Amino acid sequence: MMAEELLRVENLKKYFVTNSGLLHAVDDVSFSLGKGKTLGVVGESGCGKSTLGRTILRLHEPTSGKIFFKGQDITDLDKKAMKELRRNMQIIFQDPFASLNPRMTVAQTIQESLLIQGIFTKKDKAGLEKRVRELMDLVGLSPRLINSYPHELDGGRRQRIGIARVLALNPEFIVCDEPVSALDVSIQAQILNLMQDLQDSFGFSYLFITHDLSVVKHLSDEIMVMYLGKMVEKAKAKDLFRNPTHPYTQALLSAIPVPDPDFRNDRILLQGEISSPIEPAPGCRFAARCRFACDKCKGGDIPLKEVEPGHFVACVLSEDMNQGGSR
Amino acid sequence: MSEAVKKTQRSLWMDAWRRLRKNRLAMIGLGFILLLVVLALFTVAVDIVTKGTFYDEHVIKQNLRLRLQGPSAEHIFGLDEFGRDIFLRVIWAIRYSLFMGTVAIAISVVIGSFLGAIAGFYGKVTDNVIMRIMDIFLAIPSMLLALAIVAAFGTSLTNVLMAIAISYVPTFARTVRASVLTVKDQEYIEAARALGASDARIIGKYIIPNCLAPLIVQASLGVAGAILSIAGLSFLGLGIQPPTPEWGSMLSNARSYIRDGWHITVIPGLMIMLTILSLNLLGDGLRDALDPRLKN
Amino acid sequence: MGSSELIRVEDLEIHYETDDGVVYALNGVSLHVKEGETLGLVGETGAGKTTLAKGILRLIPSPPGKIVGGKVFFEGEDILSYSETEMHKIRGNAISMVFQDPMTSLNPVMTVGDQIAEVIAVHNPDLGKEELRERVIAILAKVGISSDRIDEYPHQFSGGMKQRVIIAIALACNPKLLLADEPTTALDVTIQAQVLDMIQTLKKELNTAMILISHDLGVVAQTCDRVAIIYAGRIVEEGDLRDIFKNPRHPYTIGLLESIPSLTKETKRLNPIKGLMPDPTNLPPGCPFAPRCNYACEECSKAVPELEEVNPGHLVRCIRIDSVEEVR
Repeated sequence: MMAEELLRVENLKKYFVTNSGLLHAVDDVSFSLGKGKTLGVVGESGCGKSTLGRTILRLHEPTSGKIFFKGQDITDLDKKAMKELRRNMQIIFQDPFASLNPRMTVAQTIQESLLIQGIFTKKDKAGLEKRVRELMDLVGLSPRLINSYPHELDGGRRQRIGIARVLALNPEFIVCDEPVSALDVSIQAQILNLMQDLQDSFGFSYLFITHDLSVVKHLSDEIMVMYLGKMVEKAKAKDLFRNPTHPYTQALLSAIPVPDPDFRNDRILLQGEISSPIEPAPGCRFAARCRFACDKCKGGDIPLKEVEPGHFVACVLSEDMNQGGSR
Repeated sequence: MSEAVKKTQRSLWMDAWRRLRKNRLAMIGLGFILLLVVLALFTVAVDIVTKGTFYDEHVIKQNLRLRLQGPSAEHIFGLDEFGRDIFLRVIWAIRYSLFMGTVAIAISVVIGSFLGAIAGFYGKVTDNVIMRIMDIFLAIPSMLLALAIVAAFGTSLTNVLMAIAISYVPTFARTVRASVLTVKDQEYIEAARALGASDARIIGKYIIPNCLAPLIVQASLGVAGAILSIAGLSFLGLGIQPPTPEWGSMLSNARSYIRDGWHITVIPGLMIMLTILSLNLLGDGLRDALDPRLKN
Repeated sequence: MGSSELIRVEDLEIHYETDDGVVYALNGVSLHVKEGETLGLVGETGAGKTTLAKGILRLIPSPPGKIVGGKVFFEGEDILSYSETEMHKIRGNAISMVFQDPMTSLNPVMTVGDQIAEVIAVHNPDLGKEELRERVIAILAKVGISSDRIDEYPHQFSGGMKQRVIIAIALACNPKLLLADEPTTALDVTIQAQVLDMIQTLKKELNTAMILISHDLGVVAQTCDRVAIIYAGRIVEEGDLRDIFKNPRHPYTIGLLESIPSLTKETKRLNPIKGLMPDPTNLPPGCPFAPRCNYACEECSKAVPELEEVNPGHLVRCIRIDSVEEVR
């Protein structure tokens, strides 16, 4: 299973200064991602999953920790070197309505990637157009849309433009920040298939950020569950669904409505709502909502424990929990 | 693939124009402004062709025998207190009001949007310094500021122009800063950053084109304000000096004869009013046409 | 029919007249809901779900919207023929609606208590101040909000809590019918579970009927009694929960179910419906789904098929049901 490592993140932290204190958006997250693999990052709003993706790309500057890309430490690279590197590390955004410049046509949007990175020059009109048409074809956009503006297109097509723009650079690593959550079910399936096909043909590695567990299960090799900036569980996709061990993962899994009237899971209804990520109390951040919480949870940092090979859980009760996996 | 996009491509600008065309009041406003522009160009052409002799003979030359004559077939707007044709004077005056108003606003749009864009994009200290200076300007009534400048540097065309331009800079700086702040947080800006685009490219290709709409609206309303200011300054004797025809000064001079001939005050007053009304209607129409929330 | 019928919509047709032409949002929708029953209305963006709900309450903005034809019978009375004053008495009282976005549905400058009290006061003008407050506290308790938050403002509430307040407002007058337009779409999964659970409990307690509009088949499967699938302004399939999920007959329903990545089964590749929804200003002449349908034949694009009963209570609008069955 050990594919060649492409990306490694070590103890990454990103804090934001707010008026009411430090916001711990990403707090001490470590993982590594192999070539051609997909790591799913799951969590609810405010868990820091989007910040994680953007910090890895240095769209936000990390507070501390290290990011290695192909063995090179990129945490402190200067602007120029980073620009060079952006050819290899890209991002697909969630909202296909907000992530495209409304004043640029499809062709202009895709050209931007090629021009900014200097892959083509402005003078090479024919070459540019040929490449744009190739890319449009790859993502399944009809050539007659080449001069359309984003507001004339539906969400699915816009998302295809977003993918073509990234594909133009032929990157090795792509952060996918909820790329299908704004789309209708039938269109969502089309885009997911497209992303899978592109991964198969170009060997991309994805960091797939989503709140939708069924999507992440479908696509990912490994899944990481985040809660309030912390990684609470990480395992191979199959293991996570077979044996969810952290109480939060269990609650999250049981909360998904399954489209099958016969499927009655015993829903674990969490009490309360996600607390604030600003100046969180020490100890497990889930403790306030956890039905198993005890004094041990409120002590210091909760270390990650390996409960089975490749399956890590940050819970003091993980040993007892392991037997009670609900699925 | 499918039939959903059968319409021809059209940019947001063309969409806006299509919506504007449906707004009857705005189109009337636009029509009147265009009529003024055509008339103004016509007078300029006449001046060039006749080398100014027509101007001297019919617009400037006094004919006291016929003073205050009412409208007639020969002089449709009548004659003024010095026996000059009011129609000719009114259309010869267009260039001062419309041209100066537009130039003054153009200058303040350029300066204002530059300052506003810098303030909005870089934020923090830059923002604070620029916007506090703008606040100081805003604290002085614009008419008073213009008066002070003209009083200090003398009454000349350029001074009037500069005075009005400066008094409008803060308005445009604020407008642009506000829209830069909203646009700056859009995901497509982040996408451009992720592609490695430079600040200059982001400002030029992403931020400015998306901030233009409110600026255009503000500018069209600004021109109306500027014309009013020019007329006001001239009325007070600080703008364009007689015998050069200008609506404000025509109104001011005619004021003493208001009981002797209604037309000499009403006509220039009406011109000012109609021009301002047209520009405001057009500005309101543009606001509706350019607002993406009203898109259907 | 067991319990009595509460609402019946007959051939409702609603169009929007826009710059780009007439948008055919609803093209003859008929459905009914019995007392205490939950009907799930499933469809994608632009299928006409929200238009239907707003049409029932006559909240279609006009212009550009226009109710072109059809009838809506509520407890046997045609409410489309009601005057605006009579409608006021029905809205928020006998029929109420919950909108999708909890962030923008509440008035930010009024306390939540006042907002709930306002609805009650409108429909019960004789209530005194004290009684009103008691009623508000009772309703807040029902939706799981403690009474000491009654004087707080919406911005002090989280998204899930706001949605509870909105549901409290909707239920304030014990409506007979609740129209819930994607009530949990904007919420996180764990919060969604809480809110859905609460809606279920309250519905049972108050015997309120509900039309739950959703694009999420999971939510529908876990909450509804019957389901109607809407596509391009027409119901294409309608039946009991089990009919739809266990024995779907319309190719669109089948396609929708196959598009969702399954949590319980292993699938290598999804099986999406090809193409896009037709442009509602320019609907194809025959079955609107025909251009995307794998089973379509020439006949399909000639006329819109009728809704046929394949089993008692299970209606399908497709002329190719038999061949669909064979291929599957």
